[in-house]
Amino acid sequence: MIGKMKRRDFLKALGLGGTATLAGCDLPTTVTLEEGKEDVVSYLLPDEYVIPGIAVWYASTCTQCAAGCGIHGRVREGRVLKIEGNPEAPINAGKTCQMGQAGLQGHYNPDRITTPMVREGGKLVPTTWEKAQALLSEKVGAKASLNADRVAWFTGTLSGHQRALVSNHLDAIGSKQHFAHEVVNASVWQAVSRDMLDDPMPRIRLDKAKLILSFGADFLGTWVSPVHFAGQYAKFRTAADRGALIQVESKMSMTGGSADLWVAIRPGTEGALALGLANYLVANGVSAAALSAEVRDKIAAHDLQKVAATTGIATAQIERIGKALKSRNPSVVLAGASVEGQAQGYDAVAAIMLLNVLLGNIGTTIEPSGKFPFPQLEAKTGGTRDLLAFAQAVQQKQLDVVFVYGANPVYSAPAALKLDEQLNNVPFKVVLAQFPDETAMHADLVLPVSSYLEDWGTHVAAYQAEQSQIAVQQPLMQKLYGDTRGFGDVMVTLLAMRNAAQWGAFADNYAYMKNVFANMKTSVGQAALSADEFWNNSLQTGMVKVDAPVRKHTVKPVVPNVAASSTDAAYPFYLVPSPRMGLYDGRHANLPWLQESPDQIAKVVWDSWAEMHPSTAEKLGIAHGDVIKVESEHGALEVKAYLVKAIHPDAISIPLGQGHTEYGRYAKGRGVNPLKILKPITDTKTGELAMYATRVKVSKTGKQETIIRLGHSDTQHGRRLARTVSVDVLKRTKGA
Amino acid sequence: MVIDKDINEQIKWAQINADVLRSMENPRKAYWITFFICIAMVACAVVAEIYQYQTGLGVTNLNNPHMWGMYISTFVFWIGMSHSGTLLSAILHIIHADWRKPIYRFAEAMTTFSLLTAGFFPLIHLGRVWNFYWVVPYVSSRGIWPNFRSPLSWDAFAISTYLSASMLFLFIGMIPDLAICRDNAKGFKKKLYGALSLGWVGSDRQWRHFRKTYLLMACFLIPLAVSVHSIVSSDFAMSIMPGWHVTSFPPYFVAGALYSGCAAIITLFIMLRYFFRFEEYMTLAIMEKTCKLTFAIAMVWTYLNLIEFAATWYGHDPYAKEVLISKATGPYAWIFWTMIFCGSVVPFALAIQSWRRHMPTMFVVSLLLNLSMYFERWMIVAPTLSMSMEPHQFYIMYASVVQWAIVFGSFGWFGLLFLVFVKVFPSVSMYEVKEMVFHRRRLINEDAETALHRRTGDTQPGLTQPA
Amino acid sequence: MSLKNVFENWSTYRKGAEEGGYHTYEHRWTMAINLDLCIGCNACSTACYAENNLAVVGEKRFAKGQAMHWLRIERYWDEEGKDHPENGASFLPMMCQQCGSATCEPVCPVAATYHTPDGLNAQVYNRCIGSRYCSNNCPFRVRYFNFYSYYESAWPEPLNLQLNPDLTVRDKGVMEKCTFCVQRIRVAKDKAKMENRKLQDGEFVTACAQACPTSAIVFGDTLNPESKVGKLWKQHQVKRGVYKQTKEDPQLRGYRIFEELNVDPSVMYLERVRDTTI
Repeated sequence: MIGKMKRRDFLKALGLGGTATLAGCDLPTTVTLEEGKEDVVSYLLPDEYVIPGIAVWYASTCTQCAAGCGIHGRVREGRVLKIEGNPEAPINAGKTCQMGQAGLQGHYNPDRITTPMVREGGKLVPTTWEKAQALLSEKVGAKASLNADRVAWFTGTLSGHQRALVSNHLDAIGSKQHFAHEVVNASVWQAVSRDMLDDPMPRIRLDKAKLILSFGADFLGTWVSPVHFAGQYAKFRTAADRGALIQVESKMSMTGGSADLWVAIRPGTEGALALGLANYLVANGVSAAALSAEVRDKIAAHDLQKVAATTGIATAQIERIGKALKSRNPSVVLAGASVEGQAQGYDAVAAIMLLNVLLGNIGTTIEPSGKFPFPQLEAKTGGTRDLLAFAQAVQQKQLDVVFVYGANPVYSAPAALKLDEQLNNVPFKVVLAQFPDETAMHADLVLPVSSYLEDWGTHVAAYQAEQSQIAVQQPLMQKLYGDTRGFGDVMVTLLAMRNAAQWGAFADNYAYMKNVFANMKTSVGQAALSADEFWNNSLQTGMVKVDAPVRKHTVKPVVPNVAASSTDAAYPFYLVPSPRMGLYDGRHANLPWLQESPDQIAKVVWDSWAEMHPSTAEKLGIAHGDVIKVESEHGALEVKAYLVKAIHPDAISIPLGQGHTEYGRYAKGRGVNPLKILKPITDTKTGELAMYATRVKVSKTGKQETIIRLGHSDTQHGRRLARTVSVDVLKRTKGA
Repeated sequence: MVIDKDINEQIKWAQINADVLRSMENPRKAYWITFFICIAMVACAVVAEIYQYQTGLGVTNLNNPHMWGMYISTFVFWIGMSHSGTLLSAILHIIHADWRKPIYRFAEAMTTFSLLTAGFFPLIHLGRVWNFYWVVPYVSSRGIWPNFRSPLSWDAFAISTYLSASMLFLFIGMIPDLAICRDNAKGFKKKLYGALSLGWVGSDRQWRHFRKTYLLMACFLIPLAVSVHSIVSSDFAMSIMPGWHVTSFPPYFVAGALYSGCAAIITLFIMLRYFFRFEEYMTLAIMEKTCKLTFAIAMVWTYLNLIEFAATWYGHDPYAKEVLISKATGPYAWIFWTMIFCGSVVPFALAIQSWRRHMPTMFVVSLLLNLSMYFERWMIVAPTLSMSMEPHQFYIMYASVVQWAIVFGSFGWFGLLFLVFVKVFPSVSMYEVKEMVFHRRRLINEDAETALHRRTGDTQPGLTQPA
Repeated sequence: MSLKNVFENWSTYRKGAEEGGYHTYEHRWTMAINLDLCIGCNACSTACYAENNLAVVGEKRFAKGQAMHWLRIERYWDEEGKDHPENGASFLPMMCQQCGSATCEPVCPVAATYHTPDGLNAQVYNRCIGSRYCSNNCPFRVRYFNFYSYYESAWPEPLNLQLNPDLTVRDKGVMEKCTFCVQRIRVAKDKAKMENRKLQDGEFVTACAQACPTSAIVFGDTLNPESKVGKLWKQHQVKRGVYKQTKEDPQLRGYRIFEELNVDPSVMYLERVRDTTI
C-alpha cells in the first residue's frame, strides 16, 4: 500500500527535517464551511509526493510504552491521520492498543512545548536554539570544566540508537551515571528471571499454555508487552482445548476481568500463596527432587492452613487452584507489579517462579529469549530503584548537571523524597521534553523534542517476540513546529560539542542513522544489499530482523524468604496504586481520548477514585461517591470512594495517572496522584520501591461528589446481553 | 339538592349584548399587570430559546437516553388541552346539549391557542430548527420527500390540519357576534369588526347557510380531534420502547386530552366569571354540568389507566413490566403517585354538590387535575427513556433552567393570547346565548316564543325586544 | 416510487424480512464478536474515535450523559450474592447493529436514516433535523446526538489536523452513530471497481476490528462465500431475517442481542465462556 513515487526522494525530502512547509496550501483552522470564516484552498501546487485524496502508509514504531509495537501510519496530504498496527511486526502482528491509537493526540497536542525555554529570574522564558546551544556548550561542551561523575542522564526506557547516543555522550563526558526509571515495570521479575534462569526476560508462551495462573500480572493491560500477549491470549482461548485463566490479585486488573477464576488475596501475601501451592503440588506427587533442601524446607513450612490464615483464602480454594495447576499442562505462572512491589517482593516473585520450575514450565511455556547481538542497542530500562538512587544523589548534592528525557521524576517520586525541592541542589538541569510536565517546569533549560511521528529512531524492546528485531521509527510527516528538534538531533549536537572530530561530520540524526545503517547491514546478514536498498527495506518493513542466538536456561531456584503478613493498627488498609492501559503511569493524562476512555473495570472517566469493597465501606459508613481522606504516613489524598466487589476488603485502590500539577490543559489539576503518598520502603533484594506496600487509613470528609462514569448499570437486569456459557458446552460444540 | 336553572330565561337580549360587550372595554389595572407578567414569561422563554439555538440542545441537559424531555411532554400537554374546545363546541353541539352555549366560545379559543402554543414545541425541540420545513412535503430540487412512515410526519399534518380547522371553526362561529360588535363599535374598531364580520346582516339565508356550515365543521372537527391526539400518541405507540408500545395509547391520550381540556375549562370558567362578572351566563348550573362531565371523563381516564397497568402487568413483555414497577417505585414515583391521586382521587370532589358549587374549591381542584395531567405526560415520556432495553444506558435527566424557562414561557404565551382574545373578541357567544334563552323561554311559555320572534317592521335586529 | 411501480412489483415488496425482504443486496456487511476474546481494553473504542472524527466532550458533558462514543464497551458484573466477582467481568462491545429491520428508520420524519443496498443503516447528516426519534426508538441506544457544536472545543489547534478528511465533522443538531466505517467501505469498493475485480474478504476492515488486539471483532460481507464472518455465522447457525433462531444444535454460541424484537441485527455475538470446572 505504499505509493508509487520514488521512496528515496520522498524520504530525502522528509529527512532534511527542515523548515520547508507544504507549498500552496492553507491548512484550515476551522473544520466547518458553515463558519464561513475559512477558505479551503485546493492544492494547486502539491508537493511531489502528495496526491490529494489518496492516502499512503508508512511504517514506524510506537513509543507510547516500552513494548515497541510496529505501526503503520496513514498519511494524507502530508498529515498523519491514523495509526494501525504493522501486520509484519513480530510483537503486535498488526494490532494496536488504545495508547497506540492515541499517539496522534500526543503529536498534535495543543500543549506541546514549541520553543526552547531557559530559566531567567526564577521563571522559564522562551529562548532560541542558538542561545540554548550556547548555554549547553558553556556547561557541557568541550571547553566546559566538568566533574565527570557529577553529570547524569535520567531517562525512561531507552533502547536502540537513542540509547547508543546517550551512552556515547556519557562516555564522551566520562560519566557512568545513567538512571533509567519506569513506574510501570517488571524489574523484579527480570531480576528473578536473571538469577533463577540466567535469562533477564524469558519469552512467555501463553499460546502454548492450558492454564495461566497470574499473580497480579496484568499481561493484557500493562505488563511487559500487552498487545503481544493479547495476540497469544487469543490463541490460548481459541485452541481446541481452551485454556483457563486464574488471576490472583488484591484489586481486579483488566486481565482479571477475563479470568475464569478470580481470587481476591490479601495484599503482600502472594508469595505465601505460591509456596502454599508448591506445598500442595509436592504433597500430591509433583517431584521436588531438583530443588535444594533449603527450598524444599521452605515449601514444607507453608502448609495450607498457615497459608489460608496468611492470605485470607480458604484452603478449599487453594486446593482448587493447586488441582488445576496439576491437571492442566502445560501451565504458566506469572507475577506482576503488585507482587513485586512489596518489601519482600523479590522473594515473592521467586516463590512464584518456583512454581514454574516445579510444574516443568521452564522450556515449554517459559522459553529462553534470544541474546541480542548488539548490547549497546539493547533496552536500558529500570524500575524505581534508579529513581530512589537519583533522589538520594540529588539530596546529597552529588550532581551538577542532569539531563532528563522520557521520564517525569518530579511527578512519580513519592512526596517523602521531596524531589521537587531537592532538585534545586542541581545547578544545571536540562529537560528534553515534548510537553510541559512537572519535571520540565523545574528545569533550567527546556529543549523541545519532536514527537515520535516526526522523528527518526530505532528501538529494541526489552521483550522480544520469536523474531528479534530492531524496530525502526521514521517520521510520518514533516515537523509541526519549526523549533522542535528530534531527540537524536539534539544528541548529535551535544556529542559534537564534546567531540567535534568524531561527531561533527553528522549534520543531524538522519545522517547519523543512515551511516549507522550502512555499517549495520553486514552484521544483520544483509551484506548483499546496497546501503540504500537496506535502508529502504528497513523503512518499508519498519524493522531490521536480527538473529539472536537462543540462550540456555540454567535453572537455579532461589530460596524465597517470603515475608510474614503484618498488621498495622494505625494504618489498617493496603494502598494499591494501580496503573491502567490508558493513562498508564500518568504520561498519557494529557491525551483527551485516553481521559475520555473509561477505566476498563471501574468505567470512570476524567477523574480519580478510591476503590473499596462494599463490606469495608459499610463498616466505615462510607457510601458510593463520598469523598474520603486516604492517609499514609507520608501524606493524604482526598478522593471519591468507589464501591466495587472486585477488590480485597483490606485494600484501597487508587488509580495512577491523574494528579498532575502541570502537563497541559487536559491533565492539570485533575484527580490525585497516589504515588505521592507512598512510603519509601524498598524491596530488600533489588532496591526497587515497594509501591504496593504502603499502608493507609481512611476517614470521611463529609463531602459527596458524583462519580463520572460510562454506563449506569452494573448488572444486565436479567436481559442476557453479554451471555456466558460454560466451557463444557464449548468443548462439545467445538465452537471456536 | 339544589337545582338551578342553566340560565335566566328572562334576560333581555340587549342585556346580553351589553354584558358581553362591556367585557371588551378598556382593561383595568389587573389586566395590564397580568398582561405584562405574561410578556415577562414569554421573554424568559425567548431568551432561553435564543441561547439554546445558538449553543445547541445540550443546554437542556438532555442526553442519551433522554433524547426527549419537557419539550415533548409539554407539547403533548398543550395538544391535549386543545381538546376542550372541540369537546364542548363540536361534540356537545351535535348532541344538542345547549348548556354549552355560554361557555363554548372561550373553550374554542382555548383550543386554538393551545395549538398555537403546542406548535412551537416540535420546533424548539429540533436540533436544527432552521430546517423544520423539510417535514412538509414540497417539490424539492433534491427530489426528496419526508418520510411518511414516521409518526412525526403525521404529527405535522394532523396538527396543522387541526389548527387550521379549529381556527376556522372559531372564526366562523364568531361571525354573528362580530357583527354585533361591529354594530356597537365606533371608528377604527368598527372598520375592524366590519371586515371580520364578512358582511353579516342576519338574514334568513345567511342564517341557514351559517347553521349548515357550522354543523359541518363541527362534524369535521370531531374525528380530527380524535385523530390528532391519536397521532400524537402514536409518536409513542409506534415505537418499540417498553412503556410506549401500548395499543391503548390512542384512546388513553384522547381521554387524557379531554380530561385536561375540561379541567382547563373549569379554571378559565371561574376566572372569566369572576373578572367579567358573567354570573348570569356562566351559571352555577352550567358549572355543575361541566364538573359532572369532567368527573365522567376522569373516570374514563382512570379506567384506561387501569387497563394499561393490567395489560402490562399480565402481559409477556418483561421490560414493560419493569418500567411500570419503576414508575411506581423508582425515581419518578412521587410524580406517579401525585398523578394518580390528583387524577383519580381528587375528581371525586366534583361529585360532591356543595363543593361543585364553591368556586374557590373548584378552581383549586381544576388546577390539581391539570397538574395531574401534566405529570401524566411526563410519566409517559421520562420513565421509559430512563429505563428502556439497554441497562447500560439507564439514566435520569434533570431538566435544566433552559427547559423550565421555555415551558414556563409557553404558559405565558398562552396567557398572552388568551388575554388579547378576551379583549378583542367576545368571550361569551352572544347569539348562541340568545338562542339558549329563546329555547328555554319556549319551554316555559308558548306565548313568549311568539313574542320573541321578530316581527316585520322591526328596524334593527336584536336590539329591542318586547318583554 | 410511483403507484405503477408498486403494483407491478407487489409480490417483491410484499416479502417480509424472513424471506429476505425486498432489497437486493450487493453486499451484506456483518460482524461477529467473540465475547470470549474481548478483554475490554478499549482499543476498538479509541480507534473509532480516531477514525471517525468523534468529539471528546469533556468531563462536564460526559457527566450529563452527552458523550459521543459510537462504540462503547459495557462492563457487567454477573454474580449476585457473592463476595467477589469470581468469574471476572462481562465485557460487551456495543455499537450500531445495522439492523435489517431497523426500528430507527421508519420513525425519522425527514428520512435522514435509511437502509443501503449494502445492508447498512445509513445516517445522512445533512438531512437530519434533529428530532431524535430514531435514538429513542433504538433498543440498543447506540445513536448519539450532537448536543453542542463539539468541534468548537474538541479540537484545539493543532489537534484538528488529525481529523479524517474522508468524513465530516458533525455540527450541532444532528444524529450520528457507528457506520461500520462506511468511508472505508466506499474507498475499497471504488478501488475494486477501478481495478475491475470483486472485493476480497479482509481487504479492509472497520477501525475497531483492525485495532482489536485479540481479534475478537470479525468484519466482512456475508454475501461473499469466502468471508470469515460468513463462515462464522454459518458455523453457529445464526440466520438473518428471523426473530428466533432454530439451530440444529441450540448450544452453539452465536446469538444476536434483542433479535426477539425482530430488528434483525447484523452483529452476531459469541457467548463468553467461563471455565467453572476449575
